[in-house]
Amino acid sequence: MRTQIPLIQHAHGHLIGARESAIPLRLQVEEALASGMDVVFDFTGVEVTQSFIDALIGVLILKRGPDVLDQMVFKSCSDDARAIIEFVATDRADQYLKTRTH
Amino acid sequence: MTVLVCPAYLTVRTPDILIRLCGAALAAEDSVTLETRALRFSDPFGLAMLGATFYMLQQRGQTVRVAGLTDAVGGYLQRMDVFEGVELVDCALPRGQRHNQSDALVELTRLDQRSQIDRTANQLAEALVGRMPDIDLNEPYDEMSGVNTADRITIPISYALTELLNNAMSHARLKRHGDACVWVSSQYYRSSGRLQLAVVDNGCGILETLREHAALRDLPRKTDLEAILAALRPRVSCNRDLGVFDDSTNQGIGLTTTARIAEHAGGRLVVVSGAGYHDPLGRSRRLTNGARWQGVAIALECQRDALLNVRIRELMPPIEGMPPLHLRFEE
Repeated sequence: MRTQIPLIQHAHGHLIGARESAIPLRLQVEEALASGMDVVFDFTGVEVTQSFIDALIGVLILKRGPDVLDQMVFKSCSDDARAIIEFVATDRADQYLKTRTH
Repeated sequence: MTVLVCPAYLTVRTPDILIRLCGAALAAEDSVTLETRALRFSDPFGLAMLGATFYMLQQRGQTVRVAGLTDAVGGYLQRMDVFEGVELVDCALPRGQRHNQSDALVELTRLDQRSQIDRTANQLAEALVGRMPDIDLNEPYDEMSGVNTADRITIPISYALTELLNNAMSHARLKRHGDACVWVSSQYYRSSGRLQLAVVDNGCGILETLREHAALRDLPRKTDLEAILAALRPRVSCNRDLGVFDDSTNQGIGLTTTARIAEHAGGRLVVVSGAGYHDPLGRSRRLTNGARWQGVAIALECQRDALLNVRIRELMPPIEGMPPLHLRFEE
């Protein structure tokens, strides 16, 4: 089972970037994850900031560990969005692992 | 009544004079009159500083008067919405006359809620680009990227504005500054091809935000400038870990990326906080003659056309040496 999250529906223009904008979406994601569903983030027609992606998935990685990414799909990302997701996920996973090993 | 004489220029290039003027106004305990006969030019940074100062005085119940504005400067400042709640005395303001539109400008905007960030950043960026006379908003979209020239300029501007507002609306509101506001202004100068964005807050300042951070903890003297330089380094943030402020975290990348956008677009990010002044072109220093701004004031300057070459993906810090992740991307 998959839950689709079309980010364009939450944007006020070309870019969705405020950390604040990610919070209600993250709550939606947490509900879906809790019920065992995969979450598909649809980036069609929208760019994102690193802060938004961090508030959306970086916080979840810090809370639950990098395995949470197994339940996430990133669809129709621009090259910039893809690079931001890769950076946030890798950096937060590294931070999570370091805090667990020290 | 406190009377202050406005200098000829209120710009990021003359920060000491500008910030000293704002500081003198805020130090007044009665009504403030700003004598502006000498004023010739203000950039968005100057407007945002002036707007923030006027607002804070009015919030304290103090009357603000502006006297002696000339026609040209007065018309410009009026168009930029700097005079809300201000008494204009002996000012020659043009009636019904519009400012020359060859320089696209966006009026001073004040934010006091985080929920305004996305809407404001997108609207301001679109308004700025929409008022550039040589940009065709109806240009067909590129088939590969799905965007046109206007979008390619708008997106990095929105990105920078959003990250600056994210910072201002979170960090500024710490340490008993919960009611801090943010002022934004911007302008594109057609003759030089440059644009300037200004974001000014009246919050607690960068030094207070980072005072206990490891980046400053071991320094014998914690200065405003050291704090600004630390804030510009990647992964320096007062709340990078969970639990500091509920579940609100910050990677400490937003300001770094914004500075790199400016740099890659042939410009610079100037940061003022407290008595610290950072200019990446090598003039970072302490402000002179006691000038200081309690919050954070930032000017992003760049070449508009160079924004077309900015690739956000190239501005992220390196992730080599970290464990590789399997991420599921789909077309």
